[in-house]
Formats: sequence, structure tokens, C-alpha cells
Amino acid sequence: MKGNWKRFFLVRGAEVAGLALLAAVPLAVTNPFALGLLTLLAIYGILLIGLDVTVGYLGQVNLGHAAFLGIGAYTAGLTVTTLGGGMPIALVLAPALCFILGGLLALPALRLEGPQFALATLSFSALATTIINEWESLTQGAQGLQVPRPPIFGVALDAPDFYWLCLALLALVWMTMRNLLASRWGRAFEALRDSPIATDAMGVGTYRHKVIAFALGSSLGGLAGGLYAFNFQYLQPQSFTYELMVILLLGVVLGGRKSLWGAFVGAAFIVLLPNLLSNRLLFQIFSAIGLTAAVFAAGRGLAKKTTQPFQALAPVVAMGLLVGGSLLVANTEDWRKAIFALMLFSVVVGLPEGIMGFAAQLLTRLFRIAPPSLPAPASLESVLPAWPATGEPLLELKHLKRHFGGVHAVDGISLTVRAGHVHGLIGPNGSGKSTAVNVISGLYAPSGGEVLLHGKALPEGSLFKVAGHGVARTFQNLQLFGELSAIDNVMVALKDVFRVPLPLILLGLADAEEQRARAAALALLDLVGLRDKARARAKDLTYGAQRFLEIARALARKPELLILDEPAAGLAHPDAAELVKIIRRVHDLGVTIILIEHHMDVVSELCDVVTVLDGGKIIAEGPPDTVKRNPKVIEAYLGAVVEEEKAA
Amino acid sequence: MDFSLIAQMVVSGAFMGLVYALIAYGFQLTYATSKSINFGQGELVMVSAFFSLTLTDWGLPYWLMVPGGLLFGAAMGLVVERAAVRLALEQKSEGWILLSIILGLLFFSTAENIWGRDDRPFPTPIPADAFKFLGVDITPLEVSVAVGVLSIMGLIELFKRKTLLGKAFEAVSADRDAAELMGISATRTVMLSYGLSGLVAAVAGILVSPITTVGPTMASALILKAFSVAVVAGLDSGFGVVLVGIFLGALESLASFYLGSGWREAPGLVLLIMALAIRPTGIFGQAAIRKV
Repeated sequence: MKGNWKRFFLVRGAEVAGLALLAAVPLAVTNPFALGLLTLLAIYGILLIGLDVTVGYLGQVNLGHAAFLGIGAYTAGLTVTTLGGGMPIALVLAPALCFILGGLLALPALRLEGPQFALATLSFSALATTIINEWESLTQGAQGLQVPRPPIFGVALDAPDFYWLCLALLALVWMTMRNLLASRWGRAFEALRDSPIATDAMGVGTYRHKVIAFALGSSLGGLAGGLYAFNFQYLQPQSFTYELMVILLLGVVLGGRKSLWGAFVGAAFIVLLPNLLSNRLLFQIFSAIGLTAAVFAAGRGLAKKTTQPFQALAPVVAMGLLVGGSLLVANTEDWRKAIFALMLFSVVVGLPEGIMGFAAQLLTRLFRIAPPSLPAPASLESVLPAWPATGEPLLELKHLKRHFGGVHAVDGISLTVRAGHVHGLIGPNGSGKSTAVNVISGLYAPSGGEVLLHGKALPEGSLFKVAGHGVARTFQNLQLFGELSAIDNVMVALKDVFRVPLPLILLGLADAEEQRARAAALALLDLVGLRDKARARAKDLTYGAQRFLEIARALARKPELLILDEPAAGLAHPDAAELVKIIRRVHDLGVTIILIEHHMDVVSELCDVVTVLDGGKIIAEGPPDTVKRNPKVIEAYLGAVVEEEKAA
Repeated sequence: MDFSLIAQMVVSGAFMGLVYALIAYGFQLTYATSKSINFGQGELVMVSAFFSLTLTDWGLPYWLMVPGGLLFGAAMGLVVERAAVRLALEQKSEGWILLSIILGLLFFSTAENIWGRDDRPFPTPIPADAFKFLGVDITPLEVSVAVGVLSIMGLIELFKRKTLLGKAFEAVSADRDAAELMGISATRTVMLSYGLSGLVAAVAGILVSPITTVGPTMASALILKAFSVAVVAGLDSGFGVVLVGIFLGALESLASFYLGSGWREAPGLVLLIMALAIRPTGIFGQAAIRKV
């Protein structure tokens, strides 16, 4: 517990000290220029925290954030000028409109991944600038919009007052976002980034979470925009273009993704950037430091062979160009964009974790900050409900078909899985086993036939909806949330634990629930023998451990029916033996299991009934020993036995 | 409204649309082999055009300048592949989106400082005097755009189908891992596709510049429309981009006339967002089956 307190004091202490320091500055410094920079720092801090939600947590390249800043700024400006509202109303309307617009954009755009998502946000931002520019009757177009800074509740805001307002809002955003991102929501965002398919299959709606994450990030852009309008008191459409977008991305990546401090450091960098560029000597010193750091990192990385040559040398070349340029070029302002490009390039290639990613590791080691301690695991019985093994039909397939073009992957299979059984599904490669379970679990919609659970039709073609009916699955090709820890992987899927509504989570009132969830997740990790690996990132686990983690994660759904898609594939012998034990334990709890497997020893040891598929059709069914001797099955696996050989 | 005026605008717009289609075709080439596209392709078009202009300024005749410009474009395409794409693909990340944007910004800034911020005319031996065809004014310059676009696309498609190297290209597009097992280097094929894509960008630059003039801002003007064409048609749609390009070009020309030139990009952008919302694979693209 001592470690926890130390952690709490150091981490929270740094935040409080930073805030107090920033708040005290206007008392000592009256220089309006410095105060202006600090105000901007607070505004960009809010902006970048919002951008980090999509870029860091959702892991998508978002090119629309500058547009949301602009929309927020114009909304606030027009609220005051045209609608005659006050500043509080403007600062509510701006994020609210951006939340709605962000949500609307997200609805279609977030079904997309990678380049398509980037393109959708890029077009949105181009469209927004066009509208702001061309709708002159509303926005005054290229002429620009004058925005007064109205008094709040009768009190006129001078520069320090406005700065304190921005700082207070930054602190508020900081706290709520910290609470949100540390909750199940933050985990779901990251899960989405690593595997949307598994997120759906674990009953976490990908769609809802993506839309909310994007709308939330955009609304922070809108809030920052509102403050931006009252700070500069003059708005121009050109301020919110592509170039600003690149600078914002530079801020997030340089500061460090998935980190509030990273957003803050990035914001500080962006604020100082213009001064850096206008002062030649400062720029030369800065780029020389950059080059030295790049050379040092490259030398270390190459000597230890932790980085590839390209990754080590490219930043050196880019920083070298920057130093060379700073000596040769007459006016650094003219080369502004090239300078951004070279810096951003070096950071993306050479320091993908950003400054805070690097600093956080360093500080954790320096102060020996231990990760928060874990609670004692809950009892397994309290986590997994016992299902009665009645032997009655649980899952029924009736003439199930799934065709891909002309390929009849599943061609009319009918079978019954009884409650409490381990039902094996075997067959040669390409016989349709995986397709069958993909149809059952909702990844594919059937081309024909029915899937019944307890005699009622299961939803078709939606992993998410099927997951809601007590069916959980693992994947043949692992679909873990690689960047999340083992325990977080399980907690993402955990059912029936999380009840605290979003507003209370934002206020930080979900601690008790989180502890209960951790205890439950630990019980499941214990079941598969991974309790001591709870903190390890999923992608750092051994292959066998990753397979077991998938089972634990699926069990977190408290399933009535568990589908294991080739759990022993690629496992070494001791792991395979362990797997058999794990499945038996799960079976003892009354969970019905469909087991797809190639290892006949595993199948014969565990299965009550085995169904054999070949060419999308059932060729045999029965107890494992009978099925193994079935000539059709032998033929399917080994080919036809020629008559003469039989005689011989 | 005068019908012949509408027809005139539709036709002129359609010719511009072919240039968008060609740039979109450049996206298809790299998307096929590596599922990545160069977000700085517009800058590639622009620097290639500027470079070709410099060659002309040095006194090179047009028909010698063209291959020079194309080689430059291909070389720049290779630079993009090496600096922005390869590492990200090896790490199976989407870092190439950001890195290719960054590289585009570097190209942009360099062009701005070397060649200046003003738009400059681009000399061509092809006359710009219009002739009447079915009551519509068409310039030989516009015809040269159509011929150029369609022939370069045709040549590259022929190359892909008839030569061994081209078949390697198709093989990697169809199944990267299987192609590697057959002894085809996927890395080299991706390089080839980026080289070809850069070459296509240079062709687009040389063809469009006599009509629009050359300037740093041509990059962003062209790329948004090329994105629209590529996405609406589908990133694996083959010649589908030509139809969509013609359609979007005509639409944009009409929008600019009826709504004002500031709105000319709006229809393309709206179509792009709609296409992504309704049919992310594009009109002519095919949906991929999700495998787990």
C-alpha cells in the first residue's frame, strides 16, 4: 500500500504543483507577451488533449481537428456578435456544436479504417473551411470576424482573468479526461485500435465507442476554439487550414501520444514555435540540440541493435538538414513548413513514443514508482455463473449455408450442441469449420438456414449482437488487444460489472467498481495460469500465454456457450497439456464448448461428441472413438485407400 | 439557361476530370501492391511540373523535357517509398499516412522557396486555339490531355498484363505472401509501384500545367479532387476512375459556375464523404471478406 501512496503523491503532486505554478505566474509577471503565450498554452493544451483521443487512443490519423477549432471559434464568435449571447453561452455552444458535428462525421467515417478515415476527416476540414470562407453573410468571409470579449456575470475580464479562466478549463478538462481514459471507456477506445473485430466479439460496441470518442475529442476542439476566439478577438478562415493541422499533429506526436502531459508538452512546443523560428540564433541552438540527440540515439540504437539502420539514420539526416538549413538559409520564416516537416519526420521515425513517453519511463525508473497494486482475486464461482449441464439442445444449426461467390464454404449443415457438452468440430483444412463458427458468432451472415440458441434465432451477421446472447469466442488468428495489459484485455470484455454511468465516471467516482473488475479479471487470469503476468502487455506475452489470455478474455463474457477456434494451433506440448486442463476446468463450471481442433488427442480427451466436416458438409458425427474409425473420416483426412493396397 | 453553355462547361470540366482520374490512378497503383497511398501525391505533381518547367527554361525542347520530367517524377516516387512508406509497412502500422503528408509538406516548402509562390505559365507546342465540335469549343490542348491520360493508363495496364515484371506486380497485388513464396520480392514490387505512381503524377503535371499554370497551390487543388475520384470510384476500380473523373470534373465546373468559384471543390468533397458513408469500397470496387 505504501507504493500506492508514493505513486499517488508523486503523480498527483506533479499535477497540482504544475497547476499552482501556472496559476501564480500573473501575480509575478506582468509582461503581456508572456501572459499571452501562457493563455495560448492553456488553449492549445485543451485542443491537443482532444486530438489525442482520436490520434492516441483510437489510433486514427485525424486531419479534421483544426477545422473543429475553427468551427468552435466561429460558433463562439457568432454567438456573441450575431446572437448577442454572453461568453458562458458561447463556451457551451461551441463544444456542443462540435460534439454534434463530430458525431455526425464519425457515424460514417468510423466504419472506415486508416487511409479512408484520414480522407474523410480531410474532406470534412476542406469543406468546413470552404463554408466559413464562402458564407460571407454569416462569417464575413475572408474579411475576418471581429469578436468582442464580453464580461462574465458583469465582470469584465482583463488579461490575467482570461488566462485564469483558460487555465481553470484546462484543469477541468484534464481531470475529466484522466478519469474517462482510465475507465472502461479508455480501455474500449484502445481495444478498438488494436482489434475492432475482437472488440465487437467481446460485446463492446465498436460503433458507439468510436463515435463518442471522436465526438468528445472534437468537442474539446470546439471548446478550445471558443477560447481562441475570445483570446484573439479576430477570426480569419485562413487560420484553420491544413498547415495548422500539421502543426497540431506535430504537437501530439512530439509531446507523446496517450498522455495528458504529452499533450501539454506538445502545446508548449507549438506556442513557442513561432518565436523559435523568428529568432535565428535560438533556432540554430535548438536544431543543434536536436541533431545531437538524434546522433546520440542513433549511435546507441545501432550499437545495441535495438533500432534498424533506417530508423536510426533517417532522423539524423533530417536533423542534419535542419542544422545545415539554419546556417545557409537567409530567412527561416520562409522555410517554416519545411522545418515543421523535418522535425515531425524525425519525431515520427525516431521517437514514436514522444517526449513524454520517453520521460515517463525515465521518471518511473528514477523515482522507483511501482504500478498500483492489484487487489486479491475474486473467487471463480462469483465471477463465472454455473450453468446447469442438462444435456438439452442449446445451440442448433438447421441447414446452415454460407457461400462466398461460387464457393460453398458451409453447405447445409445441421447439428445440435447440447448444454454441458464439449462438442468437437473437426475436418480437413477448408472443410468449413471456421466459416461455420464465424456464422454462428455473427462475423458472417448466413446465406441460408438458421442458427438457434435455446430454440430462438440468434441475431445474424453481427458479432456484437451475438455476444450479447451469451456466446463468446476465441480466434484462430489471435485477436488480442496488443497494447493493453493482460488484465486490461480481460477487463475490456468483463460483463455485468460496470454499471457507473458516464457522468459519474467523468467525476472520478468509479474507483470501487474498477477494483471489483480487477479482482474478477484476476480470478480469470488465475484460471488460465496468467495471474503473475497481469501487468504484461498482451503483445509481449509468449505465444502460448496469448492463446490462454484469449480464453480468459472470452470467459469474462460469462458465456453459456464458448467457441474455441483451434486453441491448440501452434502450441508446444506442455502448453497443449495445460490447455486441456484449462478447458476441462471451464467445462466443469457447466460452460458448453464448441471446440475446433486438429489435434486428435486433444479432441478425444475432451469431447463428448464430435462432428466431422468435409467440403462444407457433415460426413460423420458421434463419440470421438467411433468417429475416428469411420472410413469416411479416414478418407477425408488421408485420401481414399486404393483396393489393391487393402488386399495387400 | 443556354443549353450550349452548359454543354461547354460540362465538356471542359470533363477534360479536367481526366487529370483527376490520372492522379487517382496513381493512388490505385500503390494501393494495389501495398494498401497504402501517397497523401503528398499533389505535391509530387507540382514539383514534377516545376522541374519540367526548369528543364524548358534551360532550353530543352518539349519532347526532350517530357521524359526528363517523367524520370524526375518516378525518382520522387521512389523517395516517398523509401522515406515514408517502407518502414511503416514493415511495422504494419499506418504511420505512412502521416509520413507521406510530412514529405508532401517538405516538397511544398522546397518548391515554394526554389520556384517562388506565384503561378507561372507552362509552355507547350500544342496550340490552344479552340475548334468547334458539335457546337462545343474544344482546344487541341484539351484533346492532348485526354490522349495523354488514356494512353499512359493503357500503357501501364498493358505493362502489367504482358510483361514478366508486370505479372509480378499483379501477383503481389493479389496475394503478397504467396508472391513472396514464389520468389517475387514484395519490397521491390512496392518500389516499382511507387515509381510508376510518381511517373503518373509527373504526366499529370505536364499535361495539366499548360491549362492551369504551375504554382505551389496546384498541389492542394488537385489532390482533394483526385482523392474524391479515387474513393468514389474505389481504390481498386481500374478504369472506373475515368468515368468518375469525367463526372466529377463536369460537376465541379457546373458548381463553380452556379455557386461561385469558391465552392468548386464542395461537390467532390460531399461526394467523397457520402461515398465513404454508403459504399466505402467505391462504386466500382469490391468488398473484401473479413477473415479471422
